Amino acid sequence: MIFVITEHRDNKLKSITSEALVFAQRVGQDFGQPVTAVVLGANVSGLADELKTKKIDRVIVAEHPDLAEYSPDRYVEALKTILGNEKPFLVIVGHTTQGMDFAPRLSVSLRRPLIAGCVEYEKQGDRLILTRQVFNAKMNMKTGVRGESPYFATASPGAFQADELQSGGNAEIVSVAVQFSGPVRRKLVERVEAPRGMVDLSAAPIIVAGGRGLKEKDNFKIVFELAEALGASVGASRPVVDSEWLPREYQVGSSGQTVSPKLYFAVGISGAIQHLVGMQTSRCIVAINKDVEAPIFKVAHYGIVDDLFKVVPALTKIFKDLKVS
Amino acid sequence: MKIISCIKPVPDPASRLIINESKTWIKDNDLTFVASEADNYALEEALRLKEKHQGDVAILSMGGDEAARVLRSGLAMGADRAIHLLDPKFKGADEFAAAETLAKAIEKDGGADLVLAGVQSDDLGTGMTGVMLAEFLGYAHATVVIGVEADPAAKTLKVKRELEGGINETVELPFPAVLTIQFGINQPRYASLKGIMAAKKKELKAWSAADLGLSDNLVGKPGAMYEVKEVFVPERKSRVEIITGTAEEAAAKLVEKLRKEAKVI
Repeated sequence: MIFVITEHRDNKLKSITSEALVFAQRVGQDFGQPVTAVVLGANVSGLADELKTKKIDRVIVAEHPDLAEYSPDRYVEALKTILGNEKPFLVIVGHTTQGMDFAPRLSVSLRRPLIAGCVEYEKQGDRLILTRQVFNAKMNMKTGVRGESPYFATASPGAFQADELQSGGNAEIVSVAVQFSGPVRRKLVERVEAPRGMVDLSAAPIIVAGGRGLKEKDNFKIVFELAEALGASVGASRPVVDSEWLPREYQVGSSGQTVSPKLYFAVGISGAIQHLVGMQTSRCIVAINKDVEAPIFKVAHYGIVDDLFKVVPALTKIFKDLKVS
Repeated sequence: MKIISCIKPVPDPASRLIINESKTWIKDNDLTFVASEADNYALEEALRLKEKHQGDVAILSMGGDEAARVLRSGLAMGADRAIHLLDPKFKGADEFAAAETLAKAIEKDGGADLVLAGVQSDDLGTGMTGVMLAEFLGYAHATVVIGVEADPAAKTLKVKRELEGGINETVELPFPAVLTIQFGINQPRYASLKGIMAAKKKELKAWSAADLGLSDNLVGKPGAMYEVKEVFVPERKSRVEIITGTAEEAAAKLVEKLRKEAKVI
């Protein structure tokens, strides 16, 4: 059995759940193991109905008023009950701030392996080899888990394509009763949107990002113009933010946002590793830069080696014309 | 308020990393090690909390000479004392074994009100050791912390966390707790000359696996939950296609490819 611990907020499944399910479906097919999605929450029957349509075998639903908001204490306790009864082979969690908040505790509590940030896997005989990123994604590491299952893995965002999720199942929905005896030590006070003007780049389908190659703050307007013509969001590399051309919220990269849009324009961005780790899983990357040696071209799919002050306005004009026609 | 700040020595980010012969790690014999960047933010936060509320800041690191080196830097920054987990048996630990060893050391030191660590290390980088440490210790925890308010009298903390998609969350939790500190929460200080001189007189004690009462099968490589099969540089699937012509021609060709070939617009 392969379990996917789903992630949801405001009664909507997060896209990482689809990615984790793709990971599970693939491992399930290779190892001949059924896939179960687990939903923890308060009123989540709608989510179970949505999951039921995917090509999986079962949906386990554990509802309790204490699970209305995510809590690491409650998640660990509920999952220990569920996993104890079921004894799965592999438990997949999203490599998110939520997943990485409870999965390590669960791993220690059960003394079972956790391989975090998985991007791929392979089957060697009967053994599952999980590949994860190390050294800020400069290198990958293949790992073999030790001891008995369950094994825990977190799926790196963008490593598995959500649109490859197979539908057409008619999964059985199983309700599981959970009871809690431990304390809820950490309590949510409030959850707020970061400063206004902030765009959720993590969900943006198209991003136009600008870098130091734009030379000065006023020149950033050509990035905004291209973004507007495309209906895209705007991002920036760290030097742009450090020079205060744009607020910190626009930053893409290891100390900013991690994004994985279908289309990413890197305009005048050389491609420091800290930037690349934040965007390299984008489906299609276009780099526009004068320097052919810039590392951004190593991750780009299409590149134009030319003066961005000529190329970007030309692109904006084409997209504007396309919109009109 | 007693604070313990954990520091992981990692290869200097400027160094060129080469995979070793057995392809299980990098060649680390000749590298310079420094504190993992996020751990500097954690230590700075610890020092600021002490300056505000009084107390004791101990720093904790595991490894050989490289750990002693980052501990000396931490003492020079202003930590009061240092604990060096020094034993050849610790080598090859994964996050799980490292967390168990760190937890035993913190227990031996009498526990703490607050344990701080960087959100993730610059080498393994998964951000799990801090959370595992909390579970081993039985402490509450919060990850990706971008703001800390402590109330030592009430023994509570109010911390702000950075979530995905520009969402921030404020949570309350009791002492004792483990917090993993996000990059950019503060501006870490540099050691002053006075700090460097003062550091020489500060306590730096070393503990081995035996000192911690940890049996050989729980530390280092034997204590790890996974074995490293291979470390490799991933091949980039995409090979860039450079589009040529004048700026206008290249732009037009690119748009055509994005529509017909990549089908992303």
